[in-house]
Parts: sequence; structure tokens; C-alpha cells
Amino acid sequence: MNEPLSILELILGASVVVQIVMAILVLASLASWVMIFQRGFALASIRREATQFEQSFWSGTDLREIYQELEAREEGIIGMENIFFAGFKEFNRSRQRENVDPDRVMQNVSRAMRVALSREEERLETHLPFLATVGSTSPYVGLFGTVWGIMNSFRGLATVNQASLSVVAPGISEALVATAIGLFAAIPAVIAYNRYSAQVEIIMNRFDAFTEEFSSILNRAIHDG
Amino acid sequence: MSEKLTYVVSVSMALLVHLAVVGLLMANWSADAETEITTVKPYYIEAAMVAENPFTARQRKEQETRLARAQQQETARQRQAEQQAARAQADKSARQEKEKALQDAAARNERELARLRAAEQLARVESAKADQARQAEAEERDRVALEQSLAMAVSQEQAARRAITDDEKAMAYVAQIQRDIISNWSRPPSARNGMEALLRVFLVPTGEVVNVVVERSSDNDAFDRSAMQAVTKAGRFQVPPESRQFERSFREFTVLFRPEDLRL
Repeated sequence: MNEPLSILELILGASVVVQIVMAILVLASLASWVMIFQRGFALASIRREATQFEQSFWSGTDLREIYQELEAREEGIIGMENIFFAGFKEFNRSRQRENVDPDRVMQNVSRAMRVALSREEERLETHLPFLATVGSTSPYVGLFGTVWGIMNSFRGLATVNQASLSVVAPGISEALVATAIGLFAAIPAVIAYNRYSAQVEIIMNRFDAFTEEFSSILNRAIHDG
Repeated sequence: MSEKLTYVVSVSMALLVHLAVVGLLMANWSADAETEITTVKPYYIEAAMVAENPFTARQRKEQETRLARAQQQETARQRQAEQQAARAQADKSARQEKEKALQDAAARNERELARLRAAEQLARVESAKADQARQAEAEERDRVALEQSLAMAVSQEQAARRAITDDEKAMAYVAQIQRDIISNWSRPPSARNGMEALLRVFLVPTGEVVNVVVERSSDNDAFDRSAMQAVTKAGRFQVPPESRQFERSFREFTVLFRPEDLRL
């Protein structure tokens, strides 16, 4: 009792419910950090590739060449490349048929690009709901652990004749560890969620703009012959 | 970077972050905890010490101070004797310890007394000068009387403690009231050992003193006045918030003023 309580003792001395809560929170924190890093890398690589693609797209190279290059690569077609790939593929296929109405072709192309766009959005937003969940619920989970621990330590206090601070203090301290872990898990998750959803928004705007520009280019091409 | 690789890197970085946080926590934890512990300790001591009513508490305290005073005088006198001094000193320190034990257990008291008396006798035999022997004897008589009264007080107190099965919490308030009164009491120059003034104090539930009357005068007006002033100057005492407890022991109570520690 006289030696200072180490955090390890606090955790090991906690009741089973509190320990389970702590374990859940530590796992949630670990998982959310994995997602944070993974999303960071993924969004960065998507942005980088979009910039590269835009450069090559607007550099005046023949679109067919870019398409063939992507077709040859087959793997790692993500983001803007994917939208371009889907649109151009549909464009070629529709045009190869005889006597097709140009408006029908453009409809098909824009539908294909919309599908690709929504698939890309889905890809961008993977794991973000998990971060949101961790950010909003883990404080409550931690609070539950704390309330449970404090409940127990006060129940123990009822049987003690002489109430003093040192009887309840360790119990409350170990209960509060649960809230601390909950906050530790929640804060980075909330920050990362806000940051990444803003980034996804920006990237999606870029994709939308590209889609519009690309379809106007194709429209011009099909009407000019 | 392939998708799989990013996951592997992310997992290892997440683990790294958590290990770093846990490591920091472990490193910084002990220093904070130590200061907490030191502040917690006194609560126990305070609660345990005051399990007695103000009457016996006062008596006991005064007896303790009287005992301490007697011991000091003895030391001063014995220092004059060169050879004897060291031996007597050792003797006394041993006795002091025993006296502390005495306060705890009244049963051990008798045996201890016998021992002390024997030790004192030995000292007396060894001392060459007759007057010194007489002095020591007088001192010894004083001490025996003191110790007997102390033993009586202790046994009284224990009986009281056994009788009081109520909350010990009330005792903390009693001790606090006692401290407040003592700190406000300035004795007149005419105060002498053996004077006694018993005051009855009336409180209201907020702890304020509404009335003080002299129950038994010391036949010295200045002394009585000083005692009354000590209570009125304290003005307000900490009392239990539960009205049941307050009514039982704090609505009105008596305080005994007795300056045992004076030289005269």
C-alpha cells in the first residue's frame, strides 16, 4: 500500500469487467491507428497518381496511347486512371457498333464513368466509418468501465467502518484508467476521421471535374466525327 | 506501394505508437504516485488518536505535559552530577519509552512501575551525596503519583472507549474543539498549578458558541475569565453535520481548564 501504485498494478488489479473494457479499448485504439496509417498512405498514393495522370492527360498525348498503356498495365489502375479507363473503354465499344446514335454513346460513357466514380468513392472511404465509430463510442465504453469500477469501489466502502480516502482512491484510480484509454483511442480517431473525410471530399471534387472535362472531350470527338 | 505492404507498415507503426505511449506512461508514473501517498497518510493518524471525550482527553494531555516537564527538570538536575549523569540519562530514556508503552496498555503499567522503581533505587544507592538521594526520592514520589494518575486516566479512557461504541468521527470534532480552545487560551500571570475551572459551553447546530457559564469556579476571577475568553474567542467550532450526533454530544458540553504545566 505504501509503495506507489504502478499503472500495471492498477490494470491488473481492476475487476474483470473493467479489464474487458480496457482490452476492447486497446484493441480499438490499435485498429484505429492501423487504419489511420493505412488511409494516410492510400490517400497520398491516390493523390499522387491523380496528379501524374492529369499531367500526362493534359500533355497532349493521344488518349488512345494512354488507354493502351493502362490496358497493358492491368494492375494498380486506381482513382482518375480508373475513371478514364472505364469511360474510354465504353466509348470505344459503343462506337465500334454500326449506326449508333452519338447521344446514346455519350449516355453509355457517362454511365460507365459514374459507376467507376462511385467505385472510387467507395475505395476512398474504406475504414473511415470505423474511425468514426471508434471516435464516437470509445469514450462511452471507457466511461462505462469507469462507472463500473467506481460502483464497485463504493460498494466496498459500504462495508468498511472507517471511511477514508485511501480506501476508495485506488479503486477510483484504476477505474479512471478505463476512461483514459477510451479518450486515448477516441481523440486520434476523431481527428483522423475529420482530416481524411475532408481529403476525400477534395479528391472527389477533382474526380468530378475530370469526369466532366473528359466527357466534354469525348462529346466533341464523337460529334466532330 | 502495394495494398498489402501498406497494411503491414501501418500495423507495425500502430504498434510502435502504442508501445511508445505505454513506455512513457510507465516512466512518468512513479513520481506522481509518491506525492499522492504522502498526502493520504495523516487521515488514519488523526482518526485513531482522538477516540476519547474532551474531558479525559484534556486530563490526559495535561498529565502528559506534566510528566514531560518533570522529566526535563530531572534532567537538568542530574546533569550536575558528573558520573551519574550518563547512567541516569540512559535509564531515563529507557523509561521514557516504557512510559509511552504505558499509555497504550494499562495492564503493563504495574510491572513497569516496579522496574522503574528498582532502577531508581539502584541510582540512589550509587549516588554518594545524601541530598541528591533525597532529591531523587522526591522526584520519584512525584513520578509514581504521576504515573498512577496517568494509569488511572488511561484506564478511565479505555473504559470510556469501550463504552463509546458510536462513531469515531465525533472524536475528530472533539479533538479539533480542544485544539481550538487551547490555541485561544492565554493564561493570566496569577494562574497556578492545581487551579481548576469547569465551564459549560452551549452551541447551536452551526457550531457557534451561544453561551458559556462557569460551572465550577477556580476561585480566581482572572483565571475564570481567561478560560471563558478562550471559548468565546474561538467563537465557532466545527461540529458534526448530522443533527442526531450534534444533539447527543455537542449541543452542550463541559470543558475543564487546568494549567498543570506551570512552574508555580
